[in-house]
Parts: sequence; structure tokens; C-alpha cells
Amino acid sequence: MNAPVPNIFVDAIDARSLPDWLDQRRADAVATLHAQGVPHRRIEEWKYSDLKTALEPANDSVATTAAWSIDKVPRGVTLFDLADISSAPQWVQMHFGKAAAAESVPAASLALARGGFALRVARNASVADAVRVNFTTGGHVRALIVLEDGAELTLIESQSTDGAFRNTGIEIVVGANARLTHVRFAQAAPKAVQVEDVAVCVARGGLYRAHLFNAGAELSRLTLRMTLKDLGANAELSGVSVLGGQLHADVTTHVYHAAGETQSVQLFKHVAGGKSRAIYQGKITVAKGADKSDSRQTAKALLLGERAEADLKPELEIFADDVKCAHGAAVGDLDADSLFYLRARGISEPEARHMLLRAFLREAVDGIEKESVRDAIWQSVEDALPRAMVNAL
Amino acid sequence: MNMLEIKNLHVAVGGKEILKGLTLSIGAGEVHAVMGPNGSGKSTLAYLLAGRAGYEITQGSVTYCGEDLNTLAPEERAAKGLFLAMQYPVEIPGVTTLTFLKTALNAQHRARGEKEFDAMSVLKLVRKKAEALKVSEDMLKRALNVGFSGGEKKRLEILQMALFEPKLAVLDETDSGLDIDALKLVAEGVNALRSPSRAMLVITHYQRLLNYIVPDRIHVLAHGKIVAEGGKELAHELEAKGYEHIAGKAA
Repeated sequence: MNAPVPNIFVDAIDARSLPDWLDQRRADAVATLHAQGVPHRRIEEWKYSDLKTALEPANDSVATTAAWSIDKVPRGVTLFDLADISSAPQWVQMHFGKAAAAESVPAASLALARGGFALRVARNASVADAVRVNFTTGGHVRALIVLEDGAELTLIESQSTDGAFRNTGIEIVVGANARLTHVRFAQAAPKAVQVEDVAVCVARGGLYRAHLFNAGAELSRLTLRMTLKDLGANAELSGVSVLGGQLHADVTTHVYHAAGETQSVQLFKHVAGGKSRAIYQGKITVAKGADKSDSRQTAKALLLGERAEADLKPELEIFADDVKCAHGAAVGDLDADSLFYLRARGISEPEARHMLLRAFLREAVDGIEKESVRDAIWQSVEDALPRAMVNAL
Repeated sequence: MNMLEIKNLHVAVGGKEILKGLTLSIGAGEVHAVMGPNGSGKSTLAYLLAGRAGYEITQGSVTYCGEDLNTLAPEERAAKGLFLAMQYPVEIPGVTTLTFLKTALNAQHRARGEKEFDAMSVLKLVRKKAEALKVSEDMLKRALNVGFSGGEKKRLEILQMALFEPKLAVLDETDSGLDIDALKLVAEGVNALRSPSRAMLVITHYQRLLNYIVPDRIHVLAHGKIVAEGGKELAHELEAKGYEHIAGKAA
């Protein structure tokens, strides 16, 4: 029995003519989509993000393709428009759509998106200028990022606040000793349902680094699935969510340590005010034989109102013997002693709260290596804080 | 008019009465000490004066410069010149010491309708005052109290006192956790701030601190009440005979 699927997910799946190389990958995606349907709260991984309910008002809509734009393609970067999928070059054929069939959300973007982009950084090319991509309007969209061995790139992704529903599916291939810095901005989108699935594969000695800023949406879900495939592959993630009103932000990560001496570090800080809801689910799997792997994971949330909620769920699966895994999660209110100390020095309560919130979030931003990125994320934090601090409805 | 006037003060914390009819007054230019054993209510008195939440006055009154202290928020008390040097200064990661000092100083000035300082003049002012207290440039750059030794934390409290120039300074167990050199340094800092327009209330368990900060008057607190009062010589009597002797005599 196929699970019932809203139209927005299934419309026109079979009406497209695609190149042979993509046939099987798309067929797998369609099969996943039909088997799993739209995720809902009774599926453990979607417990805090009921996509099915959020999409109910959109049931009569048909699936569309979201728009994307890249202002400038720096030297050393090759860009391919996925709308021309039938003339895809070899590097796109090799990687595109391979990591989509695992779950229905990326399966849907692969099956339904008629556009998107692929970009490649050539072997050993170090691209100084960041590539800025902006996803706009509603619909499904796909992207493929390939860094060949030794390549280096900063990708700055913005999810615009327009569109009722957007489903972004990104595949990232980080070659041996290559380094990708993936920066993602999602400004407050109270009327939008935004889901995104990022599947990353890191080769020997490579580094995938992500810095996330999230101000939430009606429903916002970012799934980061990272495979540290070969010896010495690394992942470093930092993220801040600053939520107010009735906004929702769910960051779900899964780091799969497939090989030895792989490292992952995660630091997430959330501030939730009003009736907002911040979610972090972080799963770490260390495969058998992935010895001397090291994973660290920290998630903290501050609740600014009685009706705000934070759900932090760390999960460890360890099949190797000689590994280091450290994780910590904590939800709380601003520290009363700190607040009193600042007020006793003449700092007003609102200003003291603001200072402590900034200090709390600072930790997850200060470690960002590139100054322009650090400043841009910090500015977004500053802009979003007043909204989170409003303790009204 | 006395600067601080405490009359028959009863204070409950979490429904339990800690101060049970405390009466005490301090005039401008005076330094008073409150001595008492553990659990006598010393820190309750300090926190109550600074306005910490959870300390409820059930009877009596506290008047500061003619104003009912109970109606003022902690930040209002600070702006009106009341300063508490805390027994356990709080560590705040993510806020540098200098930023904190600047924010606090300007908040007090703003509340009093005085001119605010720019970053450069705050730095100059802080540096000038920091030198005497051996508060290093490095401490100013680090996160507030994070990784500071006990002595460094107490020196920073006194630096704040020097910077804010309060009318009434309450020092809660400023001697706790200090070795003799650190104690001398802190006491010198406090003594330098003695002035005819400033009052101080030094709260301590031990007589040791009062060898260096010599009070005009000593009040002995036991079981939430003042049980004995006298001049500086009372400290020596306490040291020799112990609290039980004096508290017992009063009872």
C-alpha cells in the first residue's frame, strides 16, 4: 500500500523525459517517495516537525520548481544549469541524484524539481571569492556541489522568505584534501514551510565546514547528512537559531564516521522566545573499524518565555572500539546569578538580558574563521534578537 | 540624616525567616563592620541591600538616603550610588571585562542624566584605576571573571568600586579566599576610597580583614539580630572569646 501523498509532492512525477543515466536514480527516488510519503510526527526523525500537517493547506497545489540565482561565478568554478539535464557533463552524471533516495524529502526534490544548478571547483583550485546562491519562490529545487581533490571554496546560501513551500535538495562532494565552507542564512519566514536536505560526502583529508544562521519559519527543517568516507575526513558545524513569535526551526544532523581518524565537531546554540520552537537532533554513527575517530557535539538552548520550547536530542551509535565521543545538551533560562550581577552594576534588566543572550550566542559565531562571514552571521543574530526577546504573543 | 537606616528588619528567603529584627544605621564618612558566624544572616543582609530577587521584607524597613530601598530595582540602587562587592563574583563567558565595565559605568551615568563615556575615555579611566589594584591589561581583555583566581576576582570588584564611586559600598566577605598579600592589596584599595562623603559596610566572618580596614563601629550579627555593638576593639574580643560567648551573653 502506498502512503497517501499530497499533490505538491507527487504531481507530474512520470511526465518528464530524462536521460538514461538518471533513470534508475529517479526511479529509486519515486519508489522512496511512494513508500514513505510525506514525513509526519509519528516518524521518529520528524517527531518535532510535522511536515504533513504543515502542508495540508497546500494539498490542492501542484509541484513547481523553486528559482535560484548566482550573481557571479568566480574563476575556477564551473556552473551547470540543471534545467539542461539532458546535456549534463560527465561530472554531473557521475554525482547527481545519487544520495537522494534515502528519504522522501530529498527523493521528492530529485523526482520533482525541473531545475537547479551544479557547480564544480577544479582540482587544486582555491577560489578566493565566495559563491553566493539565493533560493527563491516556492517549489522543489536541486543543487550539486563538487570540489575536486585539493579544491577550496566558500558557498554562501540564502533561503529567501518568499514562497509557501520550498524543498531544497543539495548534494555535496568534497574531494581528497578539499575544503568547503558552507554558510547558510535563513531569515524569519513566518508564512513559509521550508525543508532542506544536504547530503555531504567527504574524501580522505577533506573538510566540510558549515556555519548556519536560522531565524525560523512556520516550519523549517534542515537535515544535514554527512559521510566521512575516508581516513582523516573532517566535518565542523556551528549554528545559531534565534526564534521569536511562533517560528519553528529544526536542525537535524547525522554524521557517519565511515573510516578511521575522522573527526567531527558540532556546536549549536538556540534562543527561543515567544511561542517558538527550536529543535536540534544530532546523530553520530561510528562504523565498525572507524578507529581513532573523534566526535564532539554540543547543543544548548535558552528559553525566553514560558511558552517557548526547545528539543535537543543527541544520539550516538558506536560500532568501533577505539573512539572518542563527547556530547552535551542543555536547555535552560538565562542564569539568574549573572542577571543579578549585571543589574547590581546598574545595567537595566532588558540590557542585561540582551548582553547575556549575545554572550551565549557569541560562542557559536566567534569560531568562524572568515571575518566577513563571521560579521554577516553576527549581524543576522543582532537583527533577529529583538524579535526573540519580545515576550508577547 | 543617616545614609543607611535599617529598622527592625525581618527578611524571609523561601518562606524561612533569616533576619529577625535587625537595626543598624550608618552615616556618611563612616565605616561599619558586621561580623557574624556562618548562617547568622550576613549574606542575606548584603543581597537584600543590593536588591536580589527572593529576599522578602516581612517587617521593618531599609532607608537609603531618605528613600525606601525596597521600592528600587537593583539597577536603580546602583545608579543611586549603592554598590555591593560580592562574595562570589559571577563568571560571564562571552562578555569581556572591559566591555562590561564600560556598559555598567555608562548605564549608571545615563540613569543619573550624566554624560556617557566613549570607548577611549573609559579605557583611560579604567587603566588609571586598574594599576593600583594590579588588574592587568590581560584581565580587562578576558571574559568577565572567567578563569580569574580568587584574588583577581576580588580585585576586580574593588576596581569596580573605584570606577563607580558609590556613596554606600557594601563589601560581602571580601576577605574570603584571599592570601595575606591579596588581602593587603584589596584593603589598600578600599582604604583609598574612604571619604567623608562615602559610607562603607564591611561584612566579614573574621577579624583579620579589620586589621587592615579599621572600622568606626562593629555590629555582631547572630541568628538574624544584632547581639552586640562596639568600637574596633570588639573585633579582638570576638577573636579571643568566640561568637558563642557574645551571642550567648546577649541571649
